[in-house]
Amino acid sequence: MTAFESAAGGEAGHEALGADFIMQHILDHPIIHLHFMGFDLSITKHVVMLWIASAILVATLTVAFRRPKLVPKGLSNFFESIILYLESEVMRPYLGSDSRKYAPYLLTAFFFILVCNLLGLVPGSATATGDISVTIAMATLTFIVVQLAGIRNNGFFGYIKGLIPPGLPVFILPIMVPVEIIGLFTKHVALAIRLFANMVAGHVVIFALLLIIFTFKSWLVGGITLAGILFVSLLEILIGLIQAYIFTILSSVFIGMAVHQDH
Amino acid sequence: MELLSPALGTIFWTALTFVLLLVILRKLAWGPLLAMLDERETKIRESLEKADAAQKETEQALARNQEMVEQAKKEAQELLSKSRKAAEASKEEIVQKAHAEATKMIDKAKKEIDGEREKAVEEIRSQTAELSVMIASKLIGKSLSAEDHKDIIDSSLKKMVGTN
Repeated sequence: MTAFESAAGGEAGHEALGADFIMQHILDHPIIHLHFMGFDLSITKHVVMLWIASAILVATLTVAFRRPKLVPKGLSNFFESIILYLESEVMRPYLGSDSRKYAPYLLTAFFFILVCNLLGLVPGSATATGDISVTIAMATLTFIVVQLAGIRNNGFFGYIKGLIPPGLPVFILPIMVPVEIIGLFTKHVALAIRLFANMVAGHVVIFALLLIIFTFKSWLVGGITLAGILFVSLLEILIGLIQAYIFTILSSVFIGMAVHQDH
Repeated sequence: MELLSPALGTIFWTALTFVLLLVILRKLAWGPLLAMLDERETKIRESLEKADAAQKETEQALARNQEMVEQAKKEAQELLSKSRKAAEASKEEIVQKAHAEATKMIDKAKKEIDGEREKAVEEIRSQTAELSVMIASKLIGKSLSAEDHKDIIDSSLKKMVGTN
């Protein structure tokens, strides 16, 4: 609230304070300071949000699926329709018969990211997926799963050899080998940045619109801006769904590419 | 920029949280769910196969019934015509028999009539002889000896038979 007042009230340093207000709400803050062997392992606000999301997921999904019925009802029906959609649209086309093997990872990733995205819209909370550290961790996990899937299916050397497209002239190899190795990592870096940037952008817009209200202090501007905030918030729900979906489908595609290297 | 600098602690916690969540959900949610989906798939396939088989069986039964009805109709027709033929034959036979019987009876009656007539003729003949003797004795007025009687009767009998 102090950020509000200073941002809205101060004449000098207006813009800088506005930026501070936005950053204040987007950046992570440690809640419990923890240091272990020189590493900063503090429990931050985003970590707490991750735990809340996990708790929600464990509670609802366990209730829905601990004793699954052949004829689904209520909560399990709701989740089942989402899961069956993901299975037919995200997993089967890229993983084929292997889809059951990687379904637990992909489903967990989807629901985890989705719940984190949506929790970010609750006032007073924070968007864990709008934190580059969180998205880097998620992308790294996908990277590890992709490499393990590739090695498991093609053998270690088979997988390494399969990374370079077959039938290339030898003189291109010095260029292609680094390109392929870089490509291996950029795919997952892009995965991390895409999710992070999308989640941050929406919140920056929402907080910037909020700032406009307190800067102009006018009912008319406030009304229009509020409508804008409402619109962006609704858009955020859509973006939260889409980004969770994109992260999952890209993970599925990367796993599929590592498993079936011939195409 | 602080926004783009990753914090090692958060990365660690995220990875740990996610892996734990994956393990828990795999055991409590995805495992049972995926097993159930497989079960449902097989059940649906089985039900469809069963329904198919049942339908085929029904069709077969229907065809069999149709065939049976057809057969029964044919048999009934056959039976009817056969019995009609038999009735015709027996009627013919009865008529024939009756005819034969009637002919036999007529024959018998004719024979009997012939016999009776013969007997009557014989009787008339003997009575005629006596009468003629009586008439002759009365006419002559004198009795004849036994030999004379005999001679006269024989000669007149011979005459009668010869004229007869």
